Amino acid sequence: MALTRRQRIRATRWTVYGLSFALVIGAAVTVDWPALAGALFKVDLIPEMFPAVLTQAAKNTLIFTSLGFSIGLVLGLVLALMRLSKVRAYRWFAATFIDIFRGLPALLTILLLGLALPIALGGWRIPGVYGPGSLAVGIVASAYMAETIRAGIQAVPRGQMEAARSVGMTYTQAMVFIVIPQAFRIVIPPMTNEFILLLKDTSLISVLGVTAQTKELTRFGRDFVISSANATPIVIVGLIYLAMTIPLTRLVGQLEKRAARAR
Amino acid sequence: MTLDLPADEMDRLYGPDFPALRGEKQMKRGSMVAFTVLALVLAACGGNETDSGAAFDTVAAGTLTICTDAPYPPFEFQADNGTWTGFDLDLMSKIADDLGLKMAVTVQPFDGIWLAPAAGTCDLVASAMTITPERSANALFSDGYFDADQSLMVRDADIAKYPDLPSLAGATIGVQTGTTGEAYAEENAPADSTLKSFDEPAAMFLALESGDIDAILQDFPVNAERATAEPGKFELSQSFPTGEQYGFATSPSNTALMDAINAALAKFRSDGTYKQVFDSYFGG
Repeated sequence: MALTRRQRIRATRWTVYGLSFALVIGAAVTVDWPALAGALFKVDLIPEMFPAVLTQAAKNTLIFTSLGFSIGLVLGLVLALMRLSKVRAYRWFAATFIDIFRGLPALLTILLLGLALPIALGGWRIPGVYGPGSLAVGIVASAYMAETIRAGIQAVPRGQMEAARSVGMTYTQAMVFIVIPQAFRIVIPPMTNEFILLLKDTSLISVLGVTAQTKELTRFGRDFVISSANATPIVIVGLIYLAMTIPLTRLVGQLEKRAARAR
Repeated sequence: MTLDLPADEMDRLYGPDFPALRGEKQMKRGSMVAFTVLALVLAACGGNETDSGAAFDTVAAGTLTICTDAPYPPFEFQADNGTWTGFDLDLMSKIADDLGLKMAVTVQPFDGIWLAPAAGTCDLVASAMTITPERSANALFSDGYFDADQSLMVRDADIAKYPDLPSLAGATIGVQTGTTGEAYAEENAPADSTLKSFDEPAAMFLALESGDIDAILQDFPVNAERATAEPGKFELSQSFPTGEQYGFATSPSNTALMDAINAALAKFRSDGTYKQVFDSYFGG
């Protein structure tokens, strides 16, 4: 071939553009747009979903998420510190805990905590209507967060701890006031991921059964699909999930930029 | 897998005029006439779709693909050797044989399952599904093939505390999402009781055992099967004749397939095949 390297790159690029264009045109011509809109975006169904989809479903999703995230964050931090501890029993416990709950599907953990545990414990259950579901997604999240936080703590330069100790701080003081705050700044981006994963995992909680009080977004959408025989509600709740997660990722992106400037 | 509750227990639960589950009532005379007429009309039309399978389309050639929410004993479940069985699927496999088709099973969650044939997932739903006007708006139902009665099941220890639905005031009642049991509970449960809806019966049984809910309101045979399978754990406290029936469902446009299904059902009703399958699950 007599093409130069630059010509080859250009030829490849134009082929990709051409194929993509052909695909888009092909889709635009073959898809029955009014039928698609009727199936996925039936406008007259949308007002029926409001305001319950926000005041009830989205609210419950946020309650499960915030409870779960709080539990996950505290538990994850404790587990991370245990993983880094000098005490072998702590390290062993944390490693086992993380292995189990990172390895189990979230759905199984939810079923185990919500339904199997009360049977095993003779009827004692995790209190609160939001309790079992939030605790289960929180525990799953904590297993992931523990490893993230541990990596964050280890990424703080050793000199920080040494300097803190040399000015007379105890190990605990140095951890709490010097190392952990810096570690958290490092782990903000991966923690945003954890938050979003947890937000989506709350859609599994409905396996424990939902009352009118605890119905979250996914369940709400599915129930609405059944009563309307149309897929529009799924699209709407999908958009609401995105309306929660996309601004969050943008906000965290801004925070990161500011943090980077401050450094 | 048969329901062998003693006769007096059946009468207590069901009332003496509801003998269907003892295998006594096979069909109403009126529907027998209707079936016969339908069969004659179909025969007169001269289509031999039941032999060739050519008069209707199936999603996979030569195969009758069934959507079902399994396991749901005694209606649909897998035997120890992995074959699909249960009242619905035994009946359906005989119907498929009659149509000259192989039967394939696709498992789907119950909620919204009647929309699956129209979506092209399968040809037909056989899932202990009650014929309702709401569902009929988006699916074509066969003639009824089973009395769809509801019942209430509680923990054995609570049978005196919760003898019937009104006694569950302030308690939590488990139902399966999208079922007629859920609709029945919404209409008839005491105002201050809480309804908790589940995706599948398995989680519901665990929730009842764990004390998360106090009762399960769902199809009579399913509760009865569980109460019989685990004596001393759960007990039926009340049952509710609804006058409704289970039906098979296809896509609203697939009238050719539905005609063939109805013809086969009518044939099985009259030649004793239906009774034989019925008795193997609910007889004696």
